[in-house]
Amino acid sequence: MYYIQLALNGLSQGLVVGLAALGITLVFGIARFANASAGDGLTFGAYLALVGQRITDSLLLGVGFSIIVSALANVLSYKLVFKKLAGRSSVALLVGSIGLGFLVRGALGVVFGHQQEVFNVQLVAPYRIGELAISILDLQMASVAALALAATFGTLYFTSIGRQMRAVADNLELARVCGIHPERVMIALWSLVGAVTAVAGLILGIKTVVSPEAGWEMLLPAFAAAILGGIGSPVGAVLAGLLLGVAQEVSTPFVGFSYKIALSFVVILFVLLVRPSGLLGRIEGVR
Amino acid sequence: MSAYLVTIFIIVLIYLLLSLGLTIQYGLTGLVNFGLVGFFAIGAYASALLAMNGIPMVVSFLLASVLAGLAAWPIGLVALRLRDDYFAIVTLGFSETIRLVIVNESWLTNGVRGITDVPALFQGAASSAPLVTVGVLLIVNAAIIVVLQRIVKSPFGRALEAVRDDEIALTALGKSPSRFKIEVLVLGSALAGLAGAFYGHYVTYIVPDQFVPLTTFYIWMAVIIGGVGRVSGAIFGTVLLIGLLEGSRFLRDLIPAIPDTEMASVRIGAVGLLLILFMIYRPQGLLGDFTKR
Repeated sequence: MYYIQLALNGLSQGLVVGLAALGITLVFGIARFANASAGDGLTFGAYLALVGQRITDSLLLGVGFSIIVSALANVLSYKLVFKKLAGRSSVALLVGSIGLGFLVRGALGVVFGHQQEVFNVQLVAPYRIGELAISILDLQMASVAALALAATFGTLYFTSIGRQMRAVADNLELARVCGIHPERVMIALWSLVGAVTAVAGLILGIKTVVSPEAGWEMLLPAFAAAILGGIGSPVGAVLAGLLLGVAQEVSTPFVGFSYKIALSFVVILFVLLVRPSGLLGRIEGVR
Repeated sequence: MSAYLVTIFIIVLIYLLLSLGLTIQYGLTGLVNFGLVGFFAIGAYASALLAMNGIPMVVSFLLASVLAGLAAWPIGLVALRLRDDYFAIVTLGFSETIRLVIVNESWLTNGVRGITDVPALFQGAASSAPLVTVGVLLIVNAAIIVVLQRIVKSPFGRALEAVRDDEIALTALGKSPSRFKIEVLVLGSALAGLAGAFYGHYVTYIVPDQFVPLTTFYIWMAVIIGGVGRVSGAIFGTVLLIGLLEGSRFLRDLIPAIPDTEMASVRIGAVGLLLILFMIYRPQGLLGDFTKR
């Protein structure tokens, strides 16, 4: 029973990892580089929601504010940084994204200081099923995440721009020949990534605390989930994120609380060596 | 004031060892090592622990360097089959894992409290110890630079540049890129380990918090700003880096309104901004090869 409870707690952690990994895998698949600023993007989203909640006095409006501003900020970072590095080596883009992450973290540290902030949410007694306790907050977070996922997959698979994004991911040259405008696809990609990252950051902030370093610590688990799910596979990233979240919690009694990140490292190494295409990636997936 | 300048000089020379290590790995061979600080940490802890258990410091320095190099070997074996960006993620994960091990295995490393009584360098020299340290560091750096320059001009060095520029061509000539990569990874990491040993014994106090990824990216910034693949670039970049880090300290003295933690954020932001600007506008660095991009 104890392990089932741990697994349940792990699921809500896994939502954060999975959503962050979804952002990473979309960028990896379509813009073709490892986006190391994703972690600090979470932090940014969490602070935005915090500010939004304080201004509007409503968490829901705060979340909306966070999603919109984060999407705009991601498009801006594409225009100012990643677009200028397009066509260069993936290392140039990776180092650029590390720089962007540091810039965001530094700016957040200056603006908000280093004291930890918490979201103002009501505490409600959890549902009890037998010995299992399911927190209402977790359920609410899960439904927010489900909405975000539905919106993302709806965009990817049922809209014209989503089809174009998948075409670019598949074969950039072919997509261009077919009259797909890469710039438009990139703007759609970064707004989508910004929105998903904001939701992940919100859940992270609500489940734990908001501090300038909070998101960076999620970067390795998110990368691990993206790789485990198969780079470029949105469904895989979310599933792997949930799996990793559960694995982290269930392994805690055995390896201790602070070795969680090490688990991500082991997963990355193992997957890259044994099955570089990940769980759901394409067979020809590069490594 | 002169004591302060000597301190700065020592720090520059220690960081220069790290920058030279990254210059071999990234500048020369194109290896994207985001885990430099992990090897730095291994060197610092290994030498400190060995020296505290009665091993002469010369031996503990050498062992620390060898250990850091050895730690790089398995990472090289598994990770070098991977693409650049995956390699970067794996090494970043490695350095974070090393830090977690240091935090958790308190029986060995005293955990987050760290080791506060690392034997100081050249205690026998009493008041002139800092000057002796400068001398030794200068000799070590000079020796490494000489060796590096020779490597660059040797057939081995040309092969390394070929690994960076065109792996397929190198393979077609019957050479194995991954062998060169592992050798360079071990070599550069051994340098980082040596830097760690100097660092630990110089500041005489080491805690896991000194070995966060930010340090890795300080060195990346130094190498990229100075000039990728150039020894002169590594030196120039390192001096510039320390100037920036120390300069921000003076800035805080001038503007007392900015508290310590805010200044740390300003530093992080500045590192980020400089990385972005240089990556976009001058990826070859200030002293780098102008013909390449």
